[in-house]
Amino acid sequence: MKKIIALVVAVLTIMTFVGCTTPTENPSKDASDLKVGAIYINSKNDTAGYTFAHHNGIVTAMKALNLNVDTQLFIVDEVPEDKAQVLAAVDTLVGKGVDIIFGISFGYIDAMEEASKTYPEVIFSHGTGYKSNETNFNNYFGRAYQARYLAGIAAGLKSLETGNNNIGYVAAYGTEYAETASGINGFALGVQAVNPNAKLHVKKLGAWADEVNESAFAKELINSFGCGVITQHCDSAQPQIAAQNANVFGCGYNSDMTADAPEAHLTAAIWNWNVYYQTAMEAAIACGTADKFVETMGSSAYYGGLKEGFVDVSPLSKNCAKGTESAISQVKNIIVNGEWDVFSGEKLTITVGEDGTATITKNAADLKDNAGNVIVAAGGASVADGVITGTMNYYVAGVEEV
Amino acid sequence: MGFHIVKRDICPLWKRCCFYLAAIVAALFIGALVLLAIGVDPLEYYYQMFTMGMVGNRIAYKTVMNYLRDFVPLALTSVALSLAFKMRFWNIGGEGQFIIGSITASAVAFLLGPSLPMWLTVILMCIFAMLAAGLYGLIAGFLKIRFGTNETLMTLMLNYVALYILYFIGETKESWNFFLQEGSLRPVFESFASLGSFPSIPIGDKFQLNICVILTLLIGVGIYVYLKYSKQGYEISVVGDSMGTAHYAGMKVKRIILRTVFLSAALIGLAAAFKVGTVGVLSTSITNDVGWTGIIVAWLAQLSTPMIFVVAALICVLQTGSITAAATFSKVDSSFANMLQGAILFLILAAEFLVRFKIVRVKKGEKTNE
Repeated sequence: MKKIIALVVAVLTIMTFVGCTTPTENPSKDASDLKVGAIYINSKNDTAGYTFAHHNGIVTAMKALNLNVDTQLFIVDEVPEDKAQVLAAVDTLVGKGVDIIFGISFGYIDAMEEASKTYPEVIFSHGTGYKSNETNFNNYFGRAYQARYLAGIAAGLKSLETGNNNIGYVAAYGTEYAETASGINGFALGVQAVNPNAKLHVKKLGAWADEVNESAFAKELINSFGCGVITQHCDSAQPQIAAQNANVFGCGYNSDMTADAPEAHLTAAIWNWNVYYQTAMEAAIACGTADKFVETMGSSAYYGGLKEGFVDVSPLSKNCAKGTESAISQVKNIIVNGEWDVFSGEKLTITVGEDGTATITKNAADLKDNAGNVIVAAGGASVADGVITGTMNYYVAGVEEV
Repeated sequence: MGFHIVKRDICPLWKRCCFYLAAIVAALFIGALVLLAIGVDPLEYYYQMFTMGMVGNRIAYKTVMNYLRDFVPLALTSVALSLAFKMRFWNIGGEGQFIIGSITASAVAFLLGPSLPMWLTVILMCIFAMLAAGLYGLIAGFLKIRFGTNETLMTLMLNYVALYILYFIGETKESWNFFLQEGSLRPVFESFASLGSFPSIPIGDKFQLNICVILTLLIGVGIYVYLKYSKQGYEISVVGDSMGTAHYAGMKVKRIILRTVFLSAALIGLAAAFKVGTVGVLSTSITNDVGWTGIIVAWLAQLSTPMIFVVAALICVLQTGSITAAATFSKVDSSFANMLQGAILFLILAAEFLVRFKIVRVKKGEKTNE
């Protein structure tokens, strides 16, 4: 009883205290007052690529929330990953009176962290990073590996149809970055769910964008390794175009690449950045003051996946093998409802019947890296998010770097 | 009826100023046409640009501080380049010398900073950055006097050598690489602000005047005196006018060239030390293109030291102001600043033509006697 009274007293004290400090404060601000700031690595007038995808996402989100892009959006673009220049861009935006600043490039990380301390009244949101605080600074990224797994299913079914078990992967980097390694592994597991004999050949660019080699490496994977499906983790559609020219197939990345290679493209793992931007802007409106932003978001790291619609696969093209639609939609379903995830101790086996309906069975199996070490024992839970975003520096079995 | 181009003997200062002013106005007019075409009010845009968005800005003092941080390396690099240009040594290696200077200054901060007091670290950063950049510049100077190589090509190519060294340092996560953060998953430059930062003088309760600004102005005065009144300064202009004359006058031309090239590059190294000692962290775009912009500044100022400070100040207003203005107008991106800068440069060069020559109308059979 004493405890309950103490609790009631404590709660009342806190309530009066909160009431006293903020007697007139409106908990949420008017949407028409929200000023959005953004710092881009390339030009805001780009028509393709990374900056374009983010700009498009921000504009789409603002329109969905009835915000005026002409008067409520402030952008400093072509800002290199240089701490002093990022901080100067932040100063410019804060001078314009923005409430939230999105920084889209990884190398802005330290500047964003410092700025969040200098301007506690402004929200800082950093894409692809891992730093944050408990009040006004968060980071955001997506479970691209889930979309990769679905694209892998399409590639695997195509390899069964053509009878060619070699699949090629043009990657910016390999095991150096968890971002690329988790994408490669997710794709490989998707392929293996339908074609256990498939082999994934990974070729590294050593750069996030390199159009010449993106094309050249795809050709080499086709010619020297006999690959019949080409996928990619790089900026341009060159690997897909190379696949089309060689009369093989491919899965794109970042955006739907069917228009670039209509005869080759199956489906692409894509990002819907507007999903995050809308969530963040809604939180920025709802939270009232910047120090409540992380609390309103529920976490200092936003890591959305298929469930949120943050990542997805683009509409399946006419090139896809029979049953692809059925297989992908069923797997998507069990990921979205939280029944299963990619890097767990349960392996999916997908078979497509004569009528084009896929059957999915779940079996406990060790998740092993390509050196034979067990990552998750049979039946075990999915690896932690921190591993997928940070320390996944290995390939799963069946992947080979060439 | 026809037109003749006639050389002017003298052009009064007021007339020259008018020409330059007209050139700038014409460039702004061209810019205004472009802005109108994309549906942006040019007056509002230029207002934002020339005030650098400081009117009604609660952190306007930050704008001034950021402005000065860009101004210092640009002014100092331009002055340094003008030294070499006066001697007709085409040092377009400012970028490379700046990079070498900034790497060296950072290395000094990382290696000596922990065991030395801050003021000594900062002084050593300056000295080593000057030595390293100076020696880097000397490569082209030495090859020129020894083998008669073309310094334009040499300094240009050495820019890329320096740039790729910087990229290598910035991307190689190895135990020896003390330039990068240890804990980071991806390569990120480590800050050394706590080890080697130039002091600032607080003015008012928020504004901080970095000591580099004062040092740069003092160096400017020093270089002005050096060029105008010292024997070495005189030698530079004689070598610039005619190497043969200098030789016959008994000057040691090769020594003068090496000395001046070293001084030019060393000052750029000092500019780099000022920059990294202010921002406290290296980056692959640490130069902010001052090695290139500095060439434009030096020529627009016609290699006059006081004018370099004026031109550098104006170019910085243009650059800083354009970023602020572009942030306000979602249709204009930061490339508009580059276009405007190019238009101003071209039209100033055109005005330069009018300063030197005048166009006179001649009737048939008449002679121009001017």
